Amino acid sequence: MKAAFALVTILFVLMYTGAEGTLQGPKNDGRVHLRWATDSNPARDVQIAEFGKLYPGVTAAVDPSAGGDISKVLIQCATGVGPDVIDLYGDSMQTMADAGVLLDLTPYASKMGFDPSHTYPSARGALVYRGKQYRFPCNVSVNCIIYNKQIFDDHNVPYPTPNWTEQDFIRTAKLLLNNPSKSGHHHLAYAPPGGMTFYEDELIGRGGRVFTPDGLRCVLDSPQSNSALQDYYDLMFVYKVIPTPADTASISSQGGWGTGAINWFSSGDAAMLPIGRWYICQLYNYPKLEGHLGSVLLPSVGGLPSAGVVSSRAAGINVNSKNRAAALKFLQYLASPQYSNVIVTDGDALPPDPMLAKSGPALVDSAENDPAFQQPFVDAIKTARPIDESPYIDADVVTQWMGDYVAKVENRLMTPKEALAVLTAQVNQQIRRNLERRQDLQKLYEQQTGKPYSSNWWKS
Amino acid sequence: MNQNKSGIRRYGFLVRLLVLSVLGVVISLPFVWMVSASFKPRAEVENINLVPIHPTARNYPIVLSIVPDPGTGKFVPMQFGRWYFNSVFIAVGTTLFQVLTSALAAFAFSRLQWRGRDTVFLMYLATMMIPGVVLMIPNYQTMVLFHFINTYHGLIIPAAFSAFGTFLLRQFMLSISPALDEAATIDGASPWMIFWDIIMPLARPGVIALTIITFLGAYQSFFWPLIMLSDSQLYPMSVGMLTLDSSYGQQTELIMAATVMNVVPLIVIFVTCQKFLVSGLQLGGVKG
Repeated sequence: MKAAFALVTILFVLMYTGAEGTLQGPKNDGRVHLRWATDSNPARDVQIAEFGKLYPGVTAAVDPSAGGDISKVLIQCATGVGPDVIDLYGDSMQTMADAGVLLDLTPYASKMGFDPSHTYPSARGALVYRGKQYRFPCNVSVNCIIYNKQIFDDHNVPYPTPNWTEQDFIRTAKLLLNNPSKSGHHHLAYAPPGGMTFYEDELIGRGGRVFTPDGLRCVLDSPQSNSALQDYYDLMFVYKVIPTPADTASISSQGGWGTGAINWFSSGDAAMLPIGRWYICQLYNYPKLEGHLGSVLLPSVGGLPSAGVVSSRAAGINVNSKNRAAALKFLQYLASPQYSNVIVTDGDALPPDPMLAKSGPALVDSAENDPAFQQPFVDAIKTARPIDESPYIDADVVTQWMGDYVAKVENRLMTPKEALAVLTAQVNQQIRRNLERRQDLQKLYEQQTGKPYSSNWWKS
Repeated sequence: MNQNKSGIRRYGFLVRLLVLSVLGVVISLPFVWMVSASFKPRAEVENINLVPIHPTARNYPIVLSIVPDPGTGKFVPMQFGRWYFNSVFIAVGTTLFQVLTSALAAFAFSRLQWRGRDTVFLMYLATMMIPGVVLMIPNYQTMVLFHFINTYHGLIIPAAFSAFGTFLLRQFMLSISPALDEAATIDGASPWMIFWDIIMPLARPGVIALTIITFLGAYQSFFWPLIMLSDSQLYPMSVGMLTLDSSYGQQTELIMAATVMNVVPLIVIFVTCQKFLVSGLQLGGVKG
């Protein structure tokens, strides 16, 4: 036993010496080294290199997160050693701002050229929380429907037209499913990206909201919201043109929030996929799709113009960053045409700078050189809207609950109307609880309404 | 009558065989899928067929950065050799220290008589009841104070002490007759000699079981290394593989190729040592 321990100890000492001896220390090159908490995408290398060209005194290195999960950043920031620049996905800005992790950018943004006016009008609201700007987009995404022309031709189905409606979508999907294919293959009409994505796009498409404009009440039981979720249900179970989660699970060999749908579409098994422009950055893996893709706006509903959710991966700054000046330069870089040009040529989502996404031809890149393919994304960003949030309840919690109830509908445990009624009541109850507990929210309530806070406020 | 019994026995055996075979297939299916996916091209990886239609071994050299990814013409940004070494190094270090400290603590809690011994042991054991997530920030704060962030020390030292390991080995040591210590003491052996020359050899099944459990846990550890490290030179494989999973999607076939290579040491260790693992856990479970 002693010998075994001695041997392992010697092995460990040798490994330790080797490991420590071969480590390269931090470069003492006189530059400020920023830590950027983001996903470890190879595209970040190109973006960092371009940053280095514009600001030679500063460089950045990726501090990887796991699929956008903010746990790592929160733990690091809670102990005072957080990264300098933090990527914020979806609803995490509110959580991080409430936790006191993010720097209020408002005093710097106008002077340094990265205030909300430097990006798309539809994306501006998502950069601001309680009147303060906390982030600037690294990219801006809006869904369109990308389709595979080969599958449409195979089933002798006409391509979708720019002003198509939901009825046209159902008709097209039925034709794709029912028309015999020349190749003899069966195809999915639509690769489902997940219930929440579908429901949220439908909600925005109908002009629906999650909260009243003051954020005090959840309105997910509104007619628009009910109709959005009912449509999702009907497409699955009445018209049977999109796969149910059970269908999806039975044919998928892989989880993830959309990777399965992406792979089905990319491998030529599905005719349509709702997704952002960033899909084209992986087209190199699917040479068979080259020259066969089209894109179109999401189908319009209720006579309204086509609209969907605008989302963004946006960067904020750690309030305790020791390199604040350099981190602000990084955000300045994100607003620059040089950075936006990297996003365009990399086949990412839309660039933060709208000037570089004025038209389809402006977005043409090596991955997809058809301006007609790029045009719908330019059009979609004009009518898109972010999912609205309330300062009275954590957006992450609301999203999680929405997902839970959409799943109940998908699994036919509740009707859409029942699910939304229960969800709305649950969110409203949480808003009341939060107001009861938190004085800062009570003050906000008084500022917003001009009335003194009382525990029965919600009855009025 | 005897024929009936024999028939029932044979029937029972067949049912057991069938149930176990089905279970075996279900349990091994994810592993088979992983290996299969590692030999598929990207366009095929989502298909459920276990046998690749267009099998390719190119995912392995791509992950090993021997050849560039043909799609991009670039090498994937993986330091496979370094990360592989780091995984093994961290697992060896963690295992060495944890087994040693657990054995010493177990010896003190089982063989040495001192005032308040059992109370201290219960208090130590009670730390197992605190969920790891609750301790995450205090532990991290401690690492910050010691300047262990972004170092190997920060991965090895916090894992060098284990209440579970102490408990497991204490149970073993309690099962060894106290007469051996007494005889050794009469012969002039110090507690140190008793520990190394008498107790540790007799507690060998438990030590081996703890070694395997600790090694497997440390080798697969993900979240703690993820939050501790930002320098890619220090990544273990579990964290390094994140480079293949970005916000634009996963490179599943490459992840599977890397995972197949990553799990090989675990399989070798488990297969060669499973006898000790099972017997160690059984013994530890019944003695006390």
